[in-house]
Amino acid sequence: MDAETAAKLAAGLGMGLATLGPGLGIGYMTGRTADAIARQPEASGDIRTAMIIGVALAEALALYAFVIAILLAVAS
Amino acid sequence: MSAEGEVSKVTEALHELNVQQVIQLPKLGPIDFSISNAVIYMWLSALVVFVFFFIISRRLRKQPDTLQTIGEILLNFATGHLTGQIGEKGKKYYYLILTIFAYIFTMNILGLIPKPEILKPYTPTANINVTFGMAFIVFLVVQFQGFRRHGFRGYLGSWLTPPGVPKALAIPLNLVFFVVHLMGELFKPLSLAIRLFGNTIAGHLVILVMLGLVIEFQSYLIAIPPLAFVLAMNGFEIFVAFIQAYIFALLSVIYIESAIYAGH
Repeated sequence: MDAETAAKLAAGLGMGLATLGPGLGIGYMTGRTADAIARQPEASGDIRTAMIIGVALAEALALYAFVIAILLAVAS
Repeated sequence: MSAEGEVSKVTEALHELNVQQVIQLPKLGPIDFSISNAVIYMWLSALVVFVFFFIISRRLRKQPDTLQTIGEILLNFATGHLTGQIGEKGKKYYYLILTIFAYIFTMNILGLIPKPEILKPYTPTANINVTFGMAFIVFLVVQFQGFRRHGFRGYLGSWLTPPGVPKALAIPLNLVFFVVHLMGELFKPLSLAIRLFGNTIAGHLVILVMLGLVIEFQSYLIAIPPLAFVLAMNGFEIFVAFIQAYIFALLSVIYIESAIYAGH
């Protein structure tokens, strides 16, 4: 396997692996938010804002990997 | 799969994501001042935002019409929901935050509208230079506020070990705390920039790859599912355009807040 093939394989595999953690995190966060809103519907606005911040921070991890994957696939 | 050396049509379609020069200008040293399609779409977005708020502010009435209502909702959103959480000290930042929100949202939406090739379509937020420039402005505002409100010693002091730790332990820990805080401050604009860039370009790439199936296979039978998916994806991208503008504005507010109340 030459370097270019290896880089493209790494980009694909890395992107797939990198979505696992943030996917689990976002799912857990959203589920907990649904729980919290069901428990206390009057606080749903604040809870939703907190969830969106958390989701954005978790999503950024997958996007770092996405940028690295683009670099690996295009620049190599 | 196209043969080696032959440029496939899908790769040609990717030109939407390439910067194209429109007006060539001479270089000043290493800096290229040529006007590209990215610059033109940024100017266009800025013009749209300016004209929108300019028209609204010229025709204020007691009984608001639809346009004025939208403007008032935006203003209340920026002063109440976004900068309101800083408290009294943060009221004046709604200029910056509302501008960031409206500008990013307009750039995202203008990029989503399908355009013919002659208009050289481009989404400015799908360029890391644009997003990093905006994140850098937020970074400068945050650091300037921190140094102005707490002084040089006070602001850097808030990065060190919190008070109440025994002296013998605090001095070696200072180094660790300082490095961690420095990294945190530097990664704030980086994560802002990469989040916006990654979300925009990922959405556009998914749409392009799906449309690439239609271009590659040239068959009506295969064309229908990707087109349906692209339609749904475009709707989702409008939602993402709003959410990303909102996140960028909200995180900017949170970073400014953390600098204003540094050490608490």
